[in-house]
Amino acid sequence: MRLATLFIVAAFTILDAVAQELSPPFTDTERAAILAHGPWPQPKSTDPSNRVSGNARAVALGRKLFHDTRFSADRSRSCATCHDTDRAFADGRPRSIGLQLADRNAIALANLRLNRWFGWAGASDSLWAHSIRPILDEKELGLTPALLQERMARDRPLSTEYARLFGHRPKDGEPEAVLVNAAKALAAYQETIVTPRTPFDDFRDALARGDRHRAARYSIAAQRGLRIFVGEGRCAACHTGPNFTSGEFEDVGIPFFAEKGRVDPGRHGGIAALRASPFNLLGRHNDNPDAATGLATRHVEQLHRNWGEFRVPSLRNVARTAPYMHNGSLATLADVVRHYSEIDEERLHGTPDKRLLRPLRLSPQEKADLVAFLHTLSADRSVRESR
Amino acid sequence: MLSLGLSAAAQPSNSCPPAGQGFERLAAANAEIAYRWDPASLKVGQFFSAEVISCRPSAGVTRISIDATMPAHAHGMNYRPKTTEISPGHYRFTGLMLHMPGRWQVAIDLYDGTRLVQRLTRDIDLKP
Repeated sequence: MRLATLFIVAAFTILDAVAQELSPPFTDTERAAILAHGPWPQPKSTDPSNRVSGNARAVALGRKLFHDTRFSADRSRSCATCHDTDRAFADGRPRSIGLQLADRNAIALANLRLNRWFGWAGASDSLWAHSIRPILDEKELGLTPALLQERMARDRPLSTEYARLFGHRPKDGEPEAVLVNAAKALAAYQETIVTPRTPFDDFRDALARGDRHRAARYSIAAQRGLRIFVGEGRCAACHTGPNFTSGEFEDVGIPFFAEKGRVDPGRHGGIAALRASPFNLLGRHNDNPDAATGLATRHVEQLHRNWGEFRVPSLRNVARTAPYMHNGSLATLADVVRHYSEIDEERLHGTPDKRLLRPLRLSPQEKADLVAFLHTLSADRSVRESR
Repeated sequence: MLSLGLSAAAQPSNSCPPAGQGFERLAAANAEIAYRWDPASLKVGQFFSAEVISCRPSAGVTRISIDATMPAHAHGMNYRPKTTEISPGHYRFTGLMLHMPGRWQVAIDLYDGTRLVQRLTRDIDLKP
């Protein structure tokens, strides 16, 4: 009797597994495209341009600075105000509120060691340089290098930790050098924020192993959505690789007026800001100024088409980081899918026959499938700091 | 053709490198080149460099340029390569990057002065 029960359970398990396999199965091309989105997590690495990258003391100091409201002009804001640990290091608002309303949505901080550029416009070429930007921006934290130095110097324990790490107390350094060092500690901390493995990763790895039973645990709706993602939807043209982003910038038909009469230039302005920044990797604050660390900065080209282009965001943890787009104008993943399905071609660059994006005209079922797939790029548990 | 002949007389000539050094050949009516990528296998979003030698004409090529586009989407690279002349007709290009999977066309232009001697193209189907 027990044996019969076992047979029945086994039979149902097999039937269940068969029922979860896509029909027709993924083609070799689709399979290769799916496998390219892993493995996850990616190997850890440190940032050669930041001498305290990977340093445990720097991580600890950076964590403190990240959450400390003294490092805003009116002592009311910290990095964590807009990059809230309880909100997947984003803030859930369309546009962030620092000391003033910001122009853009707060990008969720995670997996940052995989970035080539930072921010919606890629105005920075390192995480530490990008950590300086909100500190000095009058709409965000609104400090000056001198004020940052003064507030760090006034806190004895913080000052001591800084000295252990950088070899001198904040009061003994140049204000700009103290600012850069603080930003490098902030970067060391942020580098530890990684998104966990997801149901997609389990499916992808099962597919790689040829483990049909394990792969069949992945919902059929997500599998259908994945087929659209790597195929007809062309989503994977820009959302490439294990981090689901090319790391580059595209125009996806989102209006780029920051307010009436004022344009957000996007990537075009980002390249201009990068080149003008004393903190870029071609400058004196790069701790490893060899050709490799500054390669992208040296070669990046400012093109007319960069107007209105914004970062291709990673899709890892995407279900936890609403709202979406550079201006937070799309509230839900369903809105994002609808945007691409019905995209307004008049807003796009290029001639109609050459555009990568065109209206997908997805059916309600296909839209739901794509959303189901996108949800599988998020884990049940929170984003964590890795050690 | 006269200017090409004069230039050829004034400059040392190249010969195509022998097989086994990772070079591939591209040929057209007015030119043949040997080229190789570094790293040899191109990946999406990864910087690479290119080395190009003009084998034919073996002299008189005063400049070589390289660019890459995705013909289906009418866009090129986001990065401008830097050109270094190793010797006349022998160039190295750094800072190339193909940021999207799909079909790219690399165009290598050989000039004699301002005159385009030949455009040679190589299609690359970049896998995700």
